[in-house]
Amino acid sequence: MICRQPAREERTQINRALDRWGAFEFFKHKPLIIQEVGTKKKIVCLVTGGIEKAIQVMEDPYSAGLAIGELKKQFIPSIAGADLFARYGERNKYYITVGEKAENLVLYGRDIMGESIEAASDALDENELVIVLNTAFEAIAVGRTRFAGRSLFQKGRVTVSTIADAGYYLREEG
Amino acid sequence: MQRVIIIIIIKSENVRKTFHGLTLIFPKSAESESLASKYAYDEWLVSRFLEYVPRVEDFLSKMERPPTQYIRVNTLKTSRQELENRLRSKGFELRNTIMPEVLAVDKAPLATGATTEYLLGLYYIQDLGSCLAVDALDVAEGQAVLDVAAAPGGKTTFIAQKMNNSGSIIALEPNGRRARSMSFNIMRCGVYNTSIFRMDGLQASKFEMKFDRVLLDAPCSCEGVIAKDITRKTSHTPQDVDYCSRMQDKLIEVAARCVKPSGILLYSTCSFAPEENEMVIDRLLQKSGNITVEPVRHGSRGLTKFGDWTFDHQLKNALRLYPHIDDTTGFFIARLRVN
Repeated sequence: MICRQPAREERTQINRALDRWGAFEFFKHKPLIIQEVGTKKKIVCLVTGGIEKAIQVMEDPYSAGLAIGELKKQFIPSIAGADLFARYGERNKYYITVGEKAENLVLYGRDIMGESIEAASDALDENELVIVLNTAFEAIAVGRTRFAGRSLFQKGRVTVSTIADAGYYLREEG
Repeated sequence: MQRVIIIIIIKSENVRKTFHGLTLIFPKSAESESLASKYAYDEWLVSRFLEYVPRVEDFLSKMERPPTQYIRVNTLKTSRQELENRLRSKGFELRNTIMPEVLAVDKAPLATGATTEYLLGLYYIQDLGSCLAVDALDVAEGQAVLDVAAAPGGKTTFIAQKMNNSGSIIALEPNGRRARSMSFNIMRCGVYNTSIFRMDGLQASKFEMKFDRVLLDAPCSCEGVIAKDITRKTSHTPQDVDYCSRMQDKLIEVAARCVKPSGILLYSTCSFAPEENEMVIDRLLQKSGNITVEPVRHGSRGLTKFGDWTFDHQLKNALRLYPHIDDTTGFFIARLRVN
């Protein structure tokens, strides 16, 4: 794994993503670095000065800071990143809320049915990344919309695909 | 290479003791045989417990019952009151402890490690003894901390919490699977001041850095967690104690060299064996004249005598936690100030 500072283009992409999730202000003064695993995966991490020094000396940490997302064509938040965005960012149209029953299913990695969604913006388009919140406004998953606007609420159909969820920690660790 | 074990026999008045490598073995007595038989332990272990565990039968009886489960509130994500309210509404029965961040779970209607609150990192399942070790480390915001044998990350994430995610923590874990498990815990708890390096604690000096605080929760023979793993009643051997003690000697020397002047080295194990605890500290004190043992709150005092050995009087400042007295897993904690 290689840790490095983001290139200018990458930094712009990250800033845009943080702005999208309403979390630009929170991250403005926090150092962000890129971790490269292999040739394809790029993980954006948040670290503090002391760790950067250790990385310079040792060069090869198993993990550094907190991976808040992955940089592909688009920035895809990790669950840990989604948690920080939901906690410290301004909730906007890219956040949807589900009820208690759906929360338990989502934490098992299940997709989200239209009737489970309690709140979602009419302005959402199809194929948008969204952060899925429970009724306490905590991030429980990252999803992708299959429909736009009011169609997200349609009953009997999966309207949001779950691409990452907080139950992952338990499933993977076990 | 075949392991060579030196057995020395000492005659001292009416007491006949043997050393199995470093480990002191006491002669059988009617009491040790009776207790070993009643609670299904190897006799050598019980005869040792009789030398350093107070009220041994209470202790053995306590080890027959599941240990009290504790959760540590992750104040990086929630408050204790908020978490208590949420868990109580789900039917949990919780009790206060001597630490404000730690709650005892008296009743759990569902697995404590499978609630939404757990998955969201609002709490960590962690023994009170383990939390007391971090408390004794006395960390402050902005400090540089080295956690020498860090996985699965309970103490590391608590340190990060106490530092309010500031400063930096370097966590060392040589085992890939354990490092992975630790990285999950770090993500779940929302810790972002920590870096994990897959390396042995013996290589810690490679960082060329000095730390305000160094935590060495040393790999040990785990005598203190028999209640969680009863196979240790008979699988535990004197060789385990020997091996761990030698390893701990090496680790603590390296760890001590990583501490800044006036910094703290916190040494802990989940074993009762003096060979893994007081004896390790005593040898370090003899080798380096600039280390003092500072008092730690709670629990029972460290030993200053074991068999024919007498330890530095400062060892009384160390802390021993016993399951039947403190309602924790067995723990040893020593706070060392490097001057």
